[in-house]
Amino acid sequence: MKFIVSSSLLLKQLQAISGVLSTNNTLPILDNFLFELGDSEIKISASDLETTMTSRINVDMAEGEGSVAIPAKILLDTLKTFSDVPVTLDIDSDNFGVTLTAGEGKYKLAGQNGEEYPQVPAIENSASFTMESDILFEAISKTIFAASNDDLRPVMAGVFCELSSENTTFVATDAHKLVRYRRMDVKSEESANFILPKKPLTQLKNILSQDDAPVEIEYSETNAKFTFKNIIMTCRLIDGKYPNYTAVIPAKNPNKMTVDRQPFMNAIRRVSIFSNQSTYQVKFKIAGTELNLMAEDLDYSNEARERLNCHYEGDDMEIGFNSKFMVEMLQNLETEQVMLEMSEPNRAGLIIPVDSENKDEDILMLVMPVMLNA
Amino acid sequence: MDAFYASVEQRDHPEYREKPLAVGGGSGRGVVAAASYEARKFGVRSAMPGALARKKCPELIFVKPRFEVYKALSRKIRDIFFEYTDLVEPLSLDEAFLDVTHPKKGKNSATLIAREIRKRIDEELQLKASAGISYNKFLAKIASDIKKPNGQYVIKPEQAAGFIESLPIEKFFGVGKVTAEKFKKLGIHSGKELKEASREKLRKHFGKHGMFFFSIARGEDLRKVDPQRIRKSVGAENTFSSDLLNATELDQALEDICSELYRRLVKAGILGKTITLKIKYHDFIQVTRSRTLLLPMQTEKEILQLSRELLHQHREPEKPIRLLGVTFSMLEKKGILPGKQLRLDLTF
Repeated sequence: MKFIVSSSLLLKQLQAISGVLSTNNTLPILDNFLFELGDSEIKISASDLETTMTSRINVDMAEGEGSVAIPAKILLDTLKTFSDVPVTLDIDSDNFGVTLTAGEGKYKLAGQNGEEYPQVPAIENSASFTMESDILFEAISKTIFAASNDDLRPVMAGVFCELSSENTTFVATDAHKLVRYRRMDVKSEESANFILPKKPLTQLKNILSQDDAPVEIEYSETNAKFTFKNIIMTCRLIDGKYPNYTAVIPAKNPNKMTVDRQPFMNAIRRVSIFSNQSTYQVKFKIAGTELNLMAEDLDYSNEARERLNCHYEGDDMEIGFNSKFMVEMLQNLETEQVMLEMSEPNRAGLIIPVDSENKDEDILMLVMPVMLNA
Repeated sequence: MDAFYASVEQRDHPEYREKPLAVGGGSGRGVVAAASYEARKFGVRSAMPGALARKKCPELIFVKPRFEVYKALSRKIRDIFFEYTDLVEPLSLDEAFLDVTHPKKGKNSATLIAREIRKRIDEELQLKASAGISYNKFLAKIASDIKKPNGQYVIKPEQAAGFIESLPIEKFFGVGKVTAEKFKKLGIHSGKELKEASREKLRKHFGKHGMFFFSIARGEDLRKVDPQRIRKSVGAENTFSSDLLNATELDQALEDICSELYRRLVKAGILGKTITLKIKYHDFIQVTRSRTLLLPMQTEKEILQLSRELLHQHREPEKPIRLLGVTFSMLEKKGILPGKQLRLDLTF
C-alpha cells in the first residue's frame, strides 16, 4: 500500500494525537502510530490502552488497503524537518517495511503489522449529548487544575461530570480546593454521571478549537468517546464513586468580601514570594473596607504586607490561605470582581465571580484555609 | 544497663536473684522482653517466643513487665547523666550516648566519668551498668558490649582498625538480619571484608547507607550526640490471642490498634505522612505495606480507613493472621504546625 500526503498536514494531525503516546508503554507496539488506509482517506491512531485518539485525513493519492504501525518518534522527528512538501509512504505488505520519500530524500524504517495494534473498545449501551467545542474547553480548563494528583483516591484524580435535563456540572477536587463548573446551556435527556481521567482531558484541552464546532460525547458505564471535526477520542472512565461534594459546600457564609480580582491576585502573588515556601501561607485580615495581606518566612526573616480596598460585610476576620491555591483559582476566573465568602477561620472559603457576563455559566470555587498561629 | 528489666525485677524481688528469669513471654504467645544473665546461660534471649524460652530452660521464671517502674528508673539514670553533660542521646530506656568532651563536672576523662556514673547507678539505684568509651558513636557502642556485664572498655584510636576488622558484619551499626544476609551474599562477613569493598560497590547495593558503611569500616563516624534526636516513627501493634481470618474481626482488631496509635500520636503531639501496616501471618511470614500522603494524616478515622485499605488490598485472604501493626513515620510536630492545610471532609 502507498499514499501521498502533505508533510505539514500529516505532521499537524500526528502532533494532535501524539499527546496520548506514553513514554513507558507495556506493549511495545504502542510506541507506534497506527495507519489504516482506505479509499482516499487514512485513519491514524495513537493509544496508551486507556485512551485512544484517531484522526482522519484526506490523502492526495492512495493505492491498496490495509494497516501498518509506524514508529512514532522517528516519523515525527523526520516530518518536523520538512517545510511543506508532499511525502510518499510506501508500505511493503509482506514485511511492513516503510519507505518514506520526500523531495530528493528516501528514508526506510521498519513498521509492524497493524492488525497487532490493540483495538479500540466498542462503546456498548451508550447514551450521548453534544456541547460546543469552546464550552468543553472552558469546562476542562476551569476544573482540571483542582483535581487531585494523589493516587490514593483514584476517583479524585479526574473530573466528575453530572448530566441532567437542566444543566451539566463538572466538579474537581483534591480535598483542599474544589471547583464546581455548571453550564445551563448544556442539557441531556438522561441524567447520568461519570468521572473522566485527567490525561485524556488534558489532551482534549490541547486540541479543542475555541469555536462553536459541536463535540459529540458518547458515554457508557466504562468508556467515553469524544467526536469532533476529524478526531475521535475514546477513553476509559475512572471506576468508582465520586465523593458527595455537595455536602462540603457551606451554605451559610455570613462574611462576604468583594474585591477587584486582578489587583487582589497580583497582591497575593507578590506577598506569597515572602511566605513560608512549604505552606505558602498568606494571612488575610479583613476589617471595614480594608483587606490586609501578610506573609512571613521566619527561617529567612522575610516578611511582606500589603493593603487593598475591598467591600466587606461581616465580622472582622483573620484567616490563612495557601497562596498557590488562591492564585490558581483567581487565574481561572475572568470577571472584574470576585466575592470571597467565609464563615470561620477553619472553614472553607468560597470564591464566586461577581457580575459575570456569561449567564449560562455558574462557577463556584472553594478552598480550605491554612491554620494560623493561635 | 545490663539486662535492665530483668535486673530491676531481681533487685525488687530477692527471691528471683541468681535465678534464670524472663520478663514477659509468660502468656501463651508473648515474647521475652528481657532475660537475666542466669537465663542467658541457657540460651534464652530477648525477643524469643516464651514457649521456646521455656523449652530451653524449664525452670525459667516468667514475670510480667512493669514498664512504669522501668521508665521511672530510666529517668533517674538520665538525671545522673545530665549532671555530667547536656549532650545525652537516649537510644532506649536503658541505653544512651553521652558526649563528655567538655563535662559539666568531674574529671576531664571519659574513662573516669564512666566509672563514676556506673558507681553512682550502683549505689543509688542498686543496678549494674556497662560503658563503652571511644572517639565516636559507632566505636563507643561496640566498646560497651565488650566488658558486659558490669564493666567498661576503651577503644583507643590506634586500636580502632583492628577492632573493626575483626567485627562480624552483624555488629555494624544499621545492619540487621536482612542487611546482614545481603552483605553475606556479596561475600562480606566481617569488618575486614567490608573495608575492602569499594565505595562504588557499597553505593550500588546499599545506596546512601552504603556510604555510611564505607566510612564506619574506616572508623569514621561523624554523627553528633544529638540530645534532641527526634522520633522517626510511632506505632502500635497487637499479637492476637488466636489467629484471625475473618474480615470483620480483623477490622475490629485494626480499629483497636489505630485508636491506641492515635492516642500515642496525640500524646506525643505529632502527625505523620507515612502509614505502614505490618501483617504477620500464622506461619510467621511477615509483610509490610506502606503509603505516603502529601499531607499528614489528622484524624483517627483517616488512619483507620487507610489501614483498612492497606490490609484488604494486600492480605492473602486464606492465611490466618497472627499480628497486625500500624506505624506512622515522616512525622511532623503538631505544635509547629500552624500552617497546616485543612482538608475538606469528603465522604466516599
